[in-house]
Amino acid sequence: MTVVQFIVTGLLVGGVYALISSGLGLIFGVMRIVNFAQGDFMMLAMFASYLFWVGPRINPLLSVPIVFGVFVLLGIIVYRYLVGPVAGHRENHDAQVILTLGVGLVLQNVMLLAFGSTPRLMSIPALEFGFNVGGVYIDGPRLIGFIAAAVTATVLFWFLRHTILGRAIRAASENWEAATYMGINLRKTYAVSFGIGIGLTAIGGAALSMYQPVGPFVGLNFTVIMFAAVVLGGLGSVSGAFVGGVIIGIVQSVSQVWSPSTLANVYVFAIFLIVLLVRPQGLFGRKQRAI
Amino acid sequence: MRRSFLIFTALLALIALLGALITDQFALQILTLTLIWATAGLAWNVPATAGQISLGHAAFTGIGAYGFVFCVVQFGWSAWVGMAVSMAAAAVLALVIGLPTFRLQGFYFTLATMAFPLILMVLVIAGGHPEVTVPFNPGEPIASMQFRDPRSYVWLALGAFAVVGALCLAVAESKIGRTLIAIRDNEILARSVGVRTLVWKLGAFCFSAAVSAAVGVIWVNAILLVVAAEEVFGFAVSILLISVTFVGGIGRFWGPIVGAGLLIPLSQFLTVQVGDRVPGAESIVYGLALVAVALVMPRGVFPTIADRLTRRGADGPPDEHRTDNAEWRALAREAKATSSDDVLLEVIGVEKRYGGLTVLRDATFTVGAGARLGLIGPNGAGKTTLFNLMTGHATPNGGSIRFRGEDITKLPAPARTQLGLSRTFQVPQGFRSMTARQNVEIAALGSGLGPAEADRHTRAILCAVGLGGRADRLPSALTAFELKLLELARAAVSRPAVLLLDEPLAGLNEAERGDFFAALDLVVDEEIAVVVIEHSVKALLSYSSELLALDGGQIIASGSPREVVRDPRVIKAYLGNKFAARYSLVSEPQKADQP
Repeated sequence: MTVVQFIVTGLLVGGVYALISSGLGLIFGVMRIVNFAQGDFMMLAMFASYLFWVGPRINPLLSVPIVFGVFVLLGIIVYRYLVGPVAGHRENHDAQVILTLGVGLVLQNVMLLAFGSTPRLMSIPALEFGFNVGGVYIDGPRLIGFIAAAVTATVLFWFLRHTILGRAIRAASENWEAATYMGINLRKTYAVSFGIGIGLTAIGGAALSMYQPVGPFVGLNFTVIMFAAVVLGGLGSVSGAFVGGVIIGIVQSVSQVWSPSTLANVYVFAIFLIVLLVRPQGLFGRKQRAI
Repeated sequence: MRRSFLIFTALLALIALLGALITDQFALQILTLTLIWATAGLAWNVPATAGQISLGHAAFTGIGAYGFVFCVVQFGWSAWVGMAVSMAAAAVLALVIGLPTFRLQGFYFTLATMAFPLILMVLVIAGGHPEVTVPFNPGEPIASMQFRDPRSYVWLALGAFAVVGALCLAVAESKIGRTLIAIRDNEILARSVGVRTLVWKLGAFCFSAAVSAAVGVIWVNAILLVVAAEEVFGFAVSILLISVTFVGGIGRFWGPIVGAGLLIPLSQFLTVQVGDRVPGAESIVYGLALVAVALVMPRGVFPTIADRLTRRGADGPPDEHRTDNAEWRALAREAKATSSDDVLLEVIGVEKRYGGLTVLRDATFTVGAGARLGLIGPNGAGKTTLFNLMTGHATPNGGSIRFRGEDITKLPAPARTQLGLSRTFQVPQGFRSMTARQNVEIAALGSGLGPAEADRHTRAILCAVGLGGRADRLPSALTAFELKLLELARAAVSRPAVLLLDEPLAGLNEAERGDFFAALDLVVDEEIAVVVIEHSVKALLSYSSELLALDGGQIIASGSPREVVRDPRVIKAYLGNKFAARYSLVSEPQKADQP
């Protein structure tokens, strides 16, 4: 296989990474909440997608609107009753970090209890296709996942730019205090942002479930991938998270040219660390002054 | 003070008694595990006390476990040498993680720590060692750390717990513990009172890493025997340490002990009783415990209960600020041996840019001993930037700053404070979980005074500024004016050569302004130089002997107050062109004649 092949595959997967990362990026950008359970919500969405297929034979492309709706609602509930009460603009972030770790731990082990630890992969005959473009093989499920991510991203940016709720979210993320003076209901805006953040990651999870096996413990690695993407793009920047996600997909894939695929994530984590050390504000982030 | 040590000793005796009496194998194992994770929790808690939440301590237990087996198998070293080498390796790794990330504020450290154990785990597995086995050698129990009697592991774990616990208790009850809390409460302020925060954070993290590696070694010998990379490097270990500490109470000595005592027996019991039917039961318990504690008592079980039992009355004497500076004067007389340089601080052609914006250019002036220098200028003139450059909270893009003839342009903030440059902040800052007395004491310690001296200076200056009756209150229980006085006491307690006050009068009424200057005169002797930033020119006229006017990042006038306020450029900067010819800044503005 050629390097081009790896780049193309990486790009297709990276598009989905971009989508799941944008969810984490939105939640951090708007509320400064570091959600360590994000990967576990994604795992949950992969299971939802999987169950829709093995149960009533609804394929992920058709079930994704339901999955999105359910996860937005789930996110709003989680924010309303769990995350919201310990978040807010307080100086001590410990409680919020630890609460999301706890939520993640519960989600993982409840799924372990329900489905066991063996990873599962769905097989959908209708999606098992692929084609050659000038010697480069394009895999069907990965292409569909990428297109789904691109469509969602377009809708997300339209939503953030052109709807009142979207503008409220952006206003709250830039300056929550000023936003309240403009009559924005912060509680509601935060709950909806959290819901949308979880929903975006859930769509990404549904897309990944078409070619990635799902097990109760897949979330952690994806959480780190999401953080890597978000830091790479710049903490707090949703568009940065997209670019970061694509870069990580490509790095993961291209690294397989010279090293075994089991080490792919080592390169991701290494890039994550290098960015933290060299350019902590990320590619698109702004440097913050202390005083 | 002594009481905590007594309670800890009693606890050790109680555990020893339990260890001697229990005969059930399983109960002994639970006791060993509880001690192991309490010890690791104590270690995790040390950097957490300074606000550094690590999600990657599994990297250190993993290095402890693998390093130990490697040393014993490859080199045939004794178990204790293997343990020491692993601890050193963990400390070095902590340095590698901490050195770059501790320079950043916020979540970066936490995020970076998360990645390390994952990398190490993948590398160890890819290197062909997904599992290693501890060689069984009960023939030489002491050298190999391998015992036939499971009770021996209780003693081993108890020994580690006693040593680490005593160390952590000594830290918690001393200046070290309070310094760590100061860093967590307000790192910028800690730096400005002379605390080398980077060194402290690194020290705390390295200690924590070394102890975690030792815990890894004991864990391997007492319980695991077969070391699986996924187990010792796994996220579950990091979560476990966070769980026991957070449930008990982060930043409190008893936190991890209480947390481990609650969680470990419970989870072990569940694993054995229902583990085969309910896989992951113990993790669900940890998860629910974290969620419940975060929601119900976010500070943890121990602090919530302990503070409820020992709530102290916050009320001092009635609302008056009686000043008494006799003691402070006495201290000042004792210290009167300072060399009387003429020029203390020289600012030479200093420039500062933020991106394309030049906020300060070619600033040149000197501050002599005993100076009373006022810094005036409209908002955005560059006054606070100038302060930040002088105190090391920002670095200039050009020019140099000298203190007593020595170039300090690149010197970090804590070192400048120790040289004798001290400041207050425009918005009063405070270590929010410390009393007024402790707030000032940290500054006294940071400037290099010994504990007894620091205590004496702190009491004296609090009485001198009139906060004697407020010493045991938290900053949140002080009025705006009292916070200004606290700010002054904290900056002046080190008897700096140059005291920099950033808008000390903002938000004060006329009477309070007078009181503030009175307090200032009480704590500052003649040879100390004072530089004051102020908007209100009137307030400075009587106080300062020299004024410096800034506008648009440039010094536009300097000299005696009378001269400066009559300078047309200064009037223009304050009132605009139109009035420049007609008004002086100090006379009451008359009604302008309308043309």
